[in-house]
Amino acid sequence: MAKKIALRSIQGNTAGYYLLMAVLGALIALGLGAAYYMEHNGHHVTGMTNQIVWGMPHVFAVFLIVAASGALNVASISSVFNKSLYKPLAPLSGLLAVALLVGGLTVLVLDLGRPDRLIVAMTYYNFKSIFAWNIFLYTGFLGIVAVYLWMMLEKRFNQHSSQVGFVAFVWRLILTTGTGSIFGFLVARQYYDAAIMAPLFILMSFAFGLAIFNIVLAVAFKGTQRPLGDVLVERLRKLLGIFVAAVLFFVAIFHLTNLYATEHHGVEHFILDGDNVYTGLFWVGFMLFGSIIPLVLCLTPSFSKSLGAVLTASVLVIAGGLSQMYIIIIGGQAYPLEIFPGKEVSSSFFDGVVNSYAPSFPEIALGVGGTAFALFIVAFAVKVLHFLPQSLANSEIDPHFSATEAEGENATNAASA
Amino acid sequence: MTQLALVIDLNVCVGCHACVTSCKQWNSSGAAGPMTDDMPYGKDPTGTFFNRVQTYEVGTFPFTETVHFPKSCLHCEDAPCVPVCPTGASHKREKDGIVLVDYDKCIGCGYCSWACPYGAREFDEHEKVMKKCTLCVDRIYDDALPESERRPACVIACPTSARLYGDIHDPNSIVSLAIRESGGYQLMPELGTQPANHYLPRHKTKQHIHEDELVRVDNPLKKEGPLPIDEEGPFLEDSTSW
Repeated sequence: MAKKIALRSIQGNTAGYYLLMAVLGALIALGLGAAYYMEHNGHHVTGMTNQIVWGMPHVFAVFLIVAASGALNVASISSVFNKSLYKPLAPLSGLLAVALLVGGLTVLVLDLGRPDRLIVAMTYYNFKSIFAWNIFLYTGFLGIVAVYLWMMLEKRFNQHSSQVGFVAFVWRLILTTGTGSIFGFLVARQYYDAAIMAPLFILMSFAFGLAIFNIVLAVAFKGTQRPLGDVLVERLRKLLGIFVAAVLFFVAIFHLTNLYATEHHGVEHFILDGDNVYTGLFWVGFMLFGSIIPLVLCLTPSFSKSLGAVLTASVLVIAGGLSQMYIIIIGGQAYPLEIFPGKEVSSSFFDGVVNSYAPSFPEIALGVGGTAFALFIVAFAVKVLHFLPQSLANSEIDPHFSATEAEGENATNAASA
Repeated sequence: MTQLALVIDLNVCVGCHACVTSCKQWNSSGAAGPMTDDMPYGKDPTGTFFNRVQTYEVGTFPFTETVHFPKSCLHCEDAPCVPVCPTGASHKREKDGIVLVDYDKCIGCGYCSWACPYGAREFDEHEKVMKKCTLCVDRIYDDALPESERRPACVIACPTSARLYGDIHDPNSIVSLAIRESGGYQLMPELGTQPANHYLPRHKTKQHIHEDELVRVDNPLKKEGPLPIDEEGPFLEDSTSW
């Protein structure tokens, strides 16, 4: 039987911690400055136009929001699927989910034309709009996960954590369905209007969220010199591999379905075989670095129990995920509207031509600032509250860990030393 | 229900952009203003225009022709930009079917721009809200204007009367007549958005002329064409036809 592992806050008084906070703080300040600059001057100082209305900030925002629901995976595995190995990690998982969602929403709101009118968005609802539903889904997620964290961290309420965890799990599935449906419900554009967008986004959330979780976990544990056993590392490695494979499957089905329908050949040619940045991002960014290399790292036995392999795969999955978001959001808008179906069209004012977009520095700064904000929240919270397990050594977490294995492990360690 | 709309006759549009400039002038000065331009003389000018004339080259050389295609919001009867708006800022009026944006409720999220299959949405980069053609709603009901001027600015400005304006649900209106009798069509009807604005197709005027029609039957003064050479000298009828 696995032992009950204590959760302890970090000391947070090392130079490394202060440096991390300083860097994150600087990036947040840069992001806020960028938001002010764009708000003050208008979108014409960015790469966004009437044709590309969502630019780089939305790539980061949607990525963070999708990753947020995925970051809750580890908690769900422990509460809903009752895997005791993941139990000590559940609070960190919940915290990361909340932080990533707050970071993503910050970017999203600051990139609105009128962020000052957030109160309007909160008081006037058009319930036919998937966007309006998402406002409820996001705020609901924050509330439910907050309660979930409370149930997990307050000993008296621990018994309720699995029920709340189940609600959070269902809610996160609905949330990502909502995010995917922002694109799935779009009839006007060739690249969207596909029901598969919702499950694709759910799978992407699994992969992106776990990738970020792995990195945060490793940095936190290595930074505080807490033991991180290879039993957990191996589980996280395989889990990431399965999620990456699942994303690949859904992406393949999405493109194959499109390729089957003649009306979508144009946009598929544009994304998969075009003379543009999106084709490069798809094959090199998403397929090679974001999927195939992580799959090799995560599923081949030669990298078994290797934390380095998990972290490399996680970084690549994040890079591939951002590439995929860029293709979905920017690529889909860059492809011209089909106002005259079946005709080759180009006109004097943007119609029928591939819309160009180059992300400007303020847009990237805002996106990075939002990411830094999410990480800042995590770094601050683990210092002031007991989120991090004291140890994740094999002997602490593995219910099947035996004394003989421990001896064997010690012997191996001694031999390698 | 009334459904006000424009019917644009592509056969007579000459692409002069008078509708573009008159639209910009009226709406810049009106409730929808200021519709500011940025870097109007720079490399990449940007600005808000509710009405743009797209110019297409149709066909393959040498069988090509130029088509001028004015495009603004089509005021769809089932407008896809309306249900997607999270705050309900984008709405369709019961009274006359005009699709409008409530600039005080718009948060500038841009989602309507994604949903419009016609690319008719215009983001005002200075007011930071989404805008579009209002069918000059602040003009067509203005009692202070003479009756003849209570029409959209673009309709008044068009020098060739390529733009017609009226209620497409009234079978006796000028627009219904034009749609009915001149083959008016909608853009992308397959989407089911039922655009209220219609276009009248271009048509070629063809006339077959027989060879004998090129020769005048009556030529009383015999002034046209070469005169027959008369070896025997002039006769009286050569100089007069009596």
